[in-house]
Amino acid sequence: MNMPAAPNGPKKLSLKENYALLTRGLGWDTSYEDMDKAFPLDKFEGIRIHDWEKWEDPFRLTMDAYWKYQGEKERKLYAIVDAFQQNNGQFNVVDARYINTLKLFLTGVSPLEYAAHRGFAMAGRNFRGTSARIACQMQAIDELRHAQTQAHTISQYNKFFNGLHDPGHMHDRVWYLSVPKSYFEDAMTAGPFEFVTAISFSFEYVLTNLLFMPFMSGAAYNGDMATVTFGFSAQSDESRHMTLGLEVVKFILEQDPANIPIVQRWLDKWFWRGYRLLGLVSMMMDYMLPRRVMSWAEAWEMYFEQNGGALFNDLARYGIRMPKYHDVASMEKHRLSHEVWGIFYNYTHAAAFHTWVPEQAEMEWLASKYPETFDRLYRPRLEYWRAQQEQGKRFYNPTLPMLCQTCQIPMGFTEPDDPTKICYRESDYRDNKFHFCSDGCKDIFDNEPEKYVQSWLPVHQIYQGNCFRPGVDPTAPGFDPLAEVLLYYGYHVGEDGGEYLDSPDRRNWEQWTGKPAVAT
Amino acid sequence: MSYRLTIEPLGQTVEAEEGQTMLDACLRAGVWLPHACGHGLCATCKVQIVDGEIENGSASPFALMDFERDEGRALACCATLQSDVTIEADIDEDPDARHVPVRDFIGVVTAHSDLSPTIKGITLELAEDFDFQAGQYIQVHIPHDEAPRAFSLANPPGTGRRIELNVRRVPDGKGTAWLHDDVKVGDPIRFAGPFGRFFVRTSDPKPLIFIAGGSGLSSPRSMILDLLQRGETRVITLIHGARNRSELYYREELAALATAYSNFHYVPALSEPSEACEWSGFSGHAHEAAAAHFGGDFREHRAYLCGPPPMIEACIRTLMQGRLFERDIFTEKFLTSADAAQGVARSPLFRTL
Repeated sequence: MNMPAAPNGPKKLSLKENYALLTRGLGWDTSYEDMDKAFPLDKFEGIRIHDWEKWEDPFRLTMDAYWKYQGEKERKLYAIVDAFQQNNGQFNVVDARYINTLKLFLTGVSPLEYAAHRGFAMAGRNFRGTSARIACQMQAIDELRHAQTQAHTISQYNKFFNGLHDPGHMHDRVWYLSVPKSYFEDAMTAGPFEFVTAISFSFEYVLTNLLFMPFMSGAAYNGDMATVTFGFSAQSDESRHMTLGLEVVKFILEQDPANIPIVQRWLDKWFWRGYRLLGLVSMMMDYMLPRRVMSWAEAWEMYFEQNGGALFNDLARYGIRMPKYHDVASMEKHRLSHEVWGIFYNYTHAAAFHTWVPEQAEMEWLASKYPETFDRLYRPRLEYWRAQQEQGKRFYNPTLPMLCQTCQIPMGFTEPDDPTKICYRESDYRDNKFHFCSDGCKDIFDNEPEKYVQSWLPVHQIYQGNCFRPGVDPTAPGFDPLAEVLLYYGYHVGEDGGEYLDSPDRRNWEQWTGKPAVAT
Repeated sequence: MSYRLTIEPLGQTVEAEEGQTMLDACLRAGVWLPHACGHGLCATCKVQIVDGEIENGSASPFALMDFERDEGRALACCATLQSDVTIEADIDEDPDARHVPVRDFIGVVTAHSDLSPTIKGITLELAEDFDFQAGQYIQVHIPHDEAPRAFSLANPPGTGRRIELNVRRVPDGKGTAWLHDDVKVGDPIRFAGPFGRFFVRTSDPKPLIFIAGGSGLSSPRSMILDLLQRGETRVITLIHGARNRSELYYREELAALATAYSNFHYVPALSEPSEACEWSGFSGHAHEAAAAHFGGDFREHRAYLCGPPPMIEACIRTLMQGRLFERDIFTEKFLTSADAAQGVARSPLFRTL
């Protein structure tokens, strides 16, 4: 057939038009069932949506392209992980102290990837707008992949180092892991709009740089190329997630003026919850990485005060102000990591990773990064601990700490205007007293007390006898509750926690690598 | 050595220097491409190469897959040109953009007069007709200075070989001092143009709000004259903010237009009126005048803003809190080199504002 070409052939579609045509009509309105019954959860939060069509889809990715793309990405990742394993890459890290950041990450953060997968699947189900549903679906799959690749990447370390053997079991039980776990479960048990504001915006957009930057550059600085590789692999998804976060808040804020105060309250809440969670990252940056990238205070200034400041300056156009207590977080930046490390040094026998006193050269680094606080407030304590340790009296705190009802971190933080005085706040609710580490955490409780009175607080649970293995008799003579709790946590007692210098990890490292236990 | 980079679906062509990334070339030429990390990791700036040869640079193998490289995809933030190249990017086509090609011109000054104590009106006569879209600007070459200065065209299109500029004297500004003090009738002025994507979205039926500050009146004046001459029937409101009565230039002309056209409203506002101004109109800044005129509710309008950065920012906040958002607001910022130096950091929350 010799068909003459049309003189002005059909106009080529733009990528946006192409995507719109490809995905058009994927959703439908229910006819024999009320839409409000099909989507029962997208109104109770008070968010008013008038036009779902205004949702600007930031993904424009179809499933077939997605599989092709992620398939190749994972082939590359696992090729590098294979090479890492064959070359015993785990011994190329700077020293075995570094592995403790991986223990914290794999037990604390990787299960959050899985929680994010569940959360986005639920949020996606509950939005009546098709584009929002698809965006959540894509991200749910991403998060599942991230949980999987992280477990696979770090699992090699489990063959050689202690504490990595059962992250899922630990995540649901261990006291400090209840901090990240409760953070995500708080989001998942909110409505779908609060979930995406909390996770896509406050976490993925506002705070994620403070988590991934230190972790991934920390890995690179300390010779952990397997982790660097999964970092690269995940980052190509993270930008999509961050864009979704921006789109979510813009969409909600533009739909109705009544949404603005609701979003402001969520931003206040999730800023503070995220900031408290990042306390774990602060100690990783300042204490746990043998080769340091930058200090927590520097990271906070760059990623929150500058980048976050620019973001909130832009959000001010909608009538949104900086999150409440951002000034407190900035006041605390010179002490946060020291206070958190102090808590873990106290309780490291009940943790699945090791702690230690920094070496002299490391203390000099800390003094240079924290000239106003380190030598005055924290060095004397570390040197005291070191002296005790040299006399064979390494300090472990044998009591159980009081936890904050909201963030679930032991109450070791100090007054905003006095770094030598522990901060205590409390609220009365239904004839009970509830305790908080800060005004930020107290405000969050006071806003939704009915939710937080239900918190599963690990220390309370121990006292109530809920943290022993089945069949154990707490009334038996010589019963040691703390030792039994560690077994309930699934620890290999004597191997997983405690002082690094006394650990099998340290001995193994020296024997296997011939390198010093503490790199100089 | 430079190459030409054509961006579809806009059809716009920009110059890219050897070693300059596509993204850099586009952003510098005022063409926005989606982007985020800027160094090849996140894949937000992925484009399709339609024609030509490129070098992928340091694009991460996780952000730009092998199969994508085979299919001719590239990351604009890393890719450099090895020939003239055409790309297709994930950007919205603007049905109202005319894409008039940029060219170099020489105009002769035929009038040079004071519009206000700080603003000169300069009229140029060219050797040929000058085509542009109302709202666009030109880059004027200043003798013995590398950086050209941008000035919006104050006349509507269709005035043939004659163009008008409104030049505000920038304190200690070298270029505007030359145009104010040294240029005389009969002098030649070299310039290139037209530039910019600030033009009226005529295909959009919503009523129009123009807010102008200082010499930022030039573009709105060109756009409004053009609209009225074409028989526009939508309601058009112009808010012009100035410091005092003597800075409120073109007032008589605009007031006369408001009398002649019932759909055109002219709202002048003075921020620092003195006794001598004998001012009975609105006292306050342009964004306050806009809020007062519309009762703080701008829904179902389109807004066009032109003026110095603080005025634009104040107007954007007022408009957004009056329920007008990024898709409804178009701006042209007048950045002097001093403004650019003290610009506040922006987040990626907004693409164009």
